[in-house]
Amino acid sequence: MRTAASALGFYRAPILLVSLLAGLMLFVPFLVLVATSWTSGGLLLFPPQGFSLRWYETVLQDPRWMEPFALSLAVSAAATLLAVIFGTAGALAVLRLSPRSARVVRTLFIVPIALPPVAYAIGLYGVNLQLDALRSSFVTLILGEALIALPYVFVVVSAATGRLDPNLRKAAVTLGAGWPLILRRVELPLLIPNIVAGAVFGFSIVFDEVVLSVFLLPPGVQTLPLKMLSASTEAFSPALTAASTMVSLLALIVLALFAWLSRAGARRMRKVSTP
Amino acid sequence: MQPTRTQTEKRWLLWPPLAFFAIALGIPMAMLLVQSFDRGGGAFVEMFTMSSFTAALLRTLVMAAVVTVLTTLIGAVYGLAIWAAPRWFSGILLAWLMLSLWTSIVVRTVGWMLLEIPRGAIYWLLSSLGLVEEPIELYQTALAMYPAMVAVMLPFVVLPAMTAMSSIDREQLNAAVIFGAGPTLVLRSVILPALMPALISGGVLVFVMSLGFYVTPLLLGGPANLTVSGLINLQVNTLNRPDLGASMSLLLVAATVVIYLIADRLFKVSEKWG
Repeated sequence: MRTAASALGFYRAPILLVSLLAGLMLFVPFLVLVATSWTSGGLLLFPPQGFSLRWYETVLQDPRWMEPFALSLAVSAAATLLAVIFGTAGALAVLRLSPRSARVVRTLFIVPIALPPVAYAIGLYGVNLQLDALRSSFVTLILGEALIALPYVFVVVSAATGRLDPNLRKAAVTLGAGWPLILRRVELPLLIPNIVAGAVFGFSIVFDEVVLSVFLLPPGVQTLPLKMLSASTEAFSPALTAASTMVSLLALIVLALFAWLSRAGARRMRKVSTP
Repeated sequence: MQPTRTQTEKRWLLWPPLAFFAIALGIPMAMLLVQSFDRGGGAFVEMFTMSSFTAALLRTLVMAAVVTVLTTLIGAVYGLAIWAAPRWFSGILLAWLMLSLWTSIVVRTVGWMLLEIPRGAIYWLLSSLGLVEEPIELYQTALAMYPAMVAVMLPFVVLPAMTAMSSIDREQLNAAVIFGAGPTLVLRSVILPALMPALISGGVLVFVMSLGFYVTPLLLGGPANLTVSGLINLQVNTLNRPDLGASMSLLLVAATVVIYLIADRLFKVSEKWG
């Protein structure tokens, strides 16, 4: 820490100052959002008037907020499941390919990050128009969200497949294990922490994604981000910021819990592996 | 024995995800192509004669370029600061980054709205300092979008920058300082070379993602600052010209994917990821 500080010399102060300002850009909007949700008044105003939790109560009792929340959970869970299955299979396949084709496949699996969501949604919407049966279903929405989440799962799982000891496989093969057995008993158990981390990451991406919902939802239902988007352009009520605060807090609590659990898990693993 | 073994493994592990890509990516892209030829394929020519499209295209390119440059510069400084700051301060910077990474773009954009609306938080701050009398006119202007977009994109540069900084050899740094390298020389010959690949791959990512920006310009830039994505939405949902919407979408997809692939070839962007 001392070297880093002294090596930067007179650059250090301006660097810290700029980063403080940039950090405030990340933090202050959130602070303002949380503060407006405390208001006891009926308008979305900063500074808030008085303090009450009435808007939290309103949101929690309002099916127009709770139903989108439930729908978002369901859609995100389904899409994450698909992304985890195909992302993990892809990461394991890359391990077995020649370096050349591994590079091509890896690039393909990451490309969806660059895909502009509106353009992709229009394409999926075209599929819905062709097949009427899909229009009242969540099929295209879930497939699309799965594709958007897949690169994140793939990247996180790939970070672990690179660290697998190739000798484990060789040893298992020598002992006569077939590849499904090796996959199930040797490789997947070692990848579990990263698969779970990839799933959490992918889920949060899908849960927050709004553009596909704009185009692909059956009439009459909304996901939570879409409900927030429409609430922010129509009724500008403190219910919006109360809902935003709650869902952000929920995300942070789940993540903190997850980080804590995975640290505990890593500790246990170390204890098991040291004789 | 060995090759057939790998063949079966490959078949079971590689083909299912490839089939998923064909269905979830291939079919929608084919649909875009079909839709764009709905009225005989004139849409590809027609869109370039529309001033609303060329204006949106130019605006989107400028916006993506400006956001990329700002985000990369600020992200580099942010990553450096996390590395060089006292422990408590880098903890705060890291917490702010995580908060931003894990809250949704809609939530973050609404936060910026509350700051920027005429009687919002910025007005409150400035007027309580006695600096302004009239409500500020910032909301739904081009200027209103930039800080929010930079804030939204910042984690995509800071995260790779942090990884790059943590790989700098402390001994090399010590050696440079002991042999009398000043801060400028250290920055230029030790830190920048380590940081550069991360900044390039982060910057490429920010640029292609910015080309597809939809939510933030919609809420903060307003109807006067339509991006290509916003215009596509308008064509399909309001003006009832799905063929134009589809051909604009194809152009947007082609542009982002080609830029991404070129950058990947040149700078190995996808290898920086895991």
